Amino acid sequence: MSSVIEQIEQQIANLQTKAVASNTGKILKIGDGVAKIDGLSEVMYNEMIAFPGGTIGIALNLEEDEVGAVVLGESNHLKQGDEVKCTGTLLSVPVGNGLLGRVVDALGQPVDGKGAIESTETYPVERIAPGIIERKSVDQPLMTGIQAIDSMIPIGRGQRELIIGDRGTGKTTIAIDTIINQANINKVGIASGDPDFRPVYSIYVAIGQKNSNVARTLGVLEEKGALEYTIIVSAPAADAAANQYIAPYTGAAIGEWFMANGMDALIVYDDLSKHAAAYRQMSLILKRPSGREAYPGDVFYLHSRLLERSARVSKDHGNGSLTALPIIETLAGDLAAYIPTNVISITDGQIFLETDLFNQGIRPAVSVGLSVSRVGSAAQQKATKQVAGKIKLELAQFRELAAFAQFGSDLDAKTKAQLDRGARIVELFKQPAFNPIPIEQQVGVLWAMQNNVFDDIDVSKMVAAANSLRDFLSSRKEALLTSIREKAKIDDDLTAQLKAAVEEWKPTFA
Amino acid sequence: MTQNKQIKQFAKQLLKMSVEGGDLSADRVDGVLKALDKNPPRHHIAVLKAYLKLVEREVAKSTAIISHAGVIGARSVELISKQLSAKYGRSIVPITREDPSLIAGLRVVVDCDVYDSSISNVLSTLESSLS
Ligand SMILES: Nc1ncnc2c1ncn2[C@@H]1O[C@H](COP(=O)(O)OP(=O)(O)O)[C@@H](O)[C@H]1O
Ligand SMILES: [Mg+2]
Repeated sequence: MSSVIEQIEQQIANLQTKAVASNTGKILKIGDGVAKIDGLSEVMYNEMIAFPGGTIGIALNLEEDEVGAVVLGESNHLKQGDEVKCTGTLLSVPVGNGLLGRVVDALGQPVDGKGAIESTETYPVERIAPGIIERKSVDQPLMTGIQAIDSMIPIGRGQRELIIGDRGTGKTTIAIDTIINQANINKVGIASGDPDFRPVYSIYVAIGQKNSNVARTLGVLEEKGALEYTIIVSAPAADAAANQYIAPYTGAAIGEWFMANGMDALIVYDDLSKHAAAYRQMSLILKRPSGREAYPGDVFYLHSRLLERSARVSKDHGNGSLTALPIIETLAGDLAAYIPTNVISITDGQIFLETDLFNQGIRPAVSVGLSVSRVGSAAQQKATKQVAGKIKLELAQFRELAAFAQFGSDLDAKTKAQLDRGARIVELFKQPAFNPIPIEQQVGVLWAMQNNVFDDIDVSKMVAAANSLRDFLSSRKEALLTSIREKAKIDDDLTAQLKAAVEEWKPTFA
Repeated sequence: MTQNKQIKQFAKQLLKMSVEGGDLSADRVDGVLKALDKNPPRHHIAVLKAYLKLVEREVAKSTAIISHAGVIGARSVELISKQLSAKYGRSIVPITREDPSLIAGLRVVVDCDVYDSSISNVLSTLESSLS
């Protein structure tokens, strides 16, 4: 027993003799979540600063005679003259598997009332992106479950594909669909026992959204059984601008853990327009010089350093990937505004959603002409390439010709056929929200389209026909679907099976 | 904005004139003040305020404020100032202050740097690690 007492005495003695050295400063001015601080002679850029009451801030402006810092969270208790300390560390957040199924705030702390998060590791929120040597080219597909995207604008693991469009055009829905699809694929893949199967974990970062919206998203993910593979990072509109500013970097750090540990992850930033606005607000209060649209000069760097962190890394450098789906909200479809042009220039392509299409009932409202994926086709699986190779071109021609459709009977046979085919493809790609379609079903239906199976079906019945064929395949031809999925290409044997299946289905659809 | 900068620039020059051999010199500060009084510059008060701020910082950089609870020996004070002078590479003048709120131990402040071995600091660290 006496040894225990000695131990405690020793501890006390240690504490007594050890002088704690710290670099300190005093608050000169505080307001709107931003503090001007005198002192802190040793502070680094982006270093965590300890305010009284356990509050933390981040040093963002290092000037000759003062330091500008943003306060994370509540700042009402802070006042002029309060002492602040350097911490010598950059902001870090908990990472790891323990976060799956959880909702955390911008600092990685749980906000879902499900108790503490099990995590033994932390990652810095700001990190240098992987260099050229560490990267591998993108050549594995990441299926969104949205037919128009998987067939015409395919996305690969490690890619950065922007989702852009006006408010209410279905941007968030596409991102959530993709997350749900990953969960569906994970369940099938894990159940198959295939040792080479690579699940995709998802991180959804909600920036500046209403709490009710985040709650709705959470509800959808839960209902669809996708939450167990998903982490939500939430910095709602009610949070301080600094929290909204930091949240995407927190999400990236959480995603990097998967990438560094041989796993694949998907991250959605919803959305970077609000992120830029939060940064602008902070910068204006910090009195940084501002430029175009009142954004500070380094707003480009804000998003480039974030999106550069998405990559696919080689075996020796983690053997994982982080795919990013940043979202940008445009005003009146203006792609040439400052933030949209910046982000378009640093991503590997964009999915552009159009209000007009959405209002015409063409949902998802993907604009084929303005959407592109610059690296994904290397990752698209062979089966999809085989059945969808010409579809993008056919649709583009359809859009060009559509203007002439009003001339009706005056058109030549070829033009009529093109218009007819285009109209069918448009119908085929209609898909309700939160209903991603497995790739093997997509391939089956596209094969039927390619082989003119739908040609004698009225355009107005196309959606029903496609649904009916999918139902038929999934309920009656499971083995065929499984072999499409596993072979990932259509050989003679599969062609014969598809032909037979479609012939069997056709009479059932009246 | 630019006016502000000019004032700061001028104050910095005044500070340079107030330093002798790396240390702030009381004589020189006196000289600077007298000269300013005779030939008042534009924005005299603002210049003086900026100068004051710089001089304060300079003084803080070469002063160790040693707060202590209970008595502290002259020998300890000498040792502390010697070590700090060596660490910072300039002569550090000690000033002692009794502060019972520390409970026991010492707290030494040189400009922004705080060296704290007081019991009150140990307790507050403990408190924040528990909450
Ligand atoms: N494919 C779809 N089919 C039917 N409704 C959709 C589809 N995609 C989105 N919606 C609906 O449109 C509305 C706006 O979608 P949302 O994804 O929130 O848009 P955004 O994020 O672009 O503002 C929602 O009510 C959503 O349910
Ligand atoms: Mg949205």
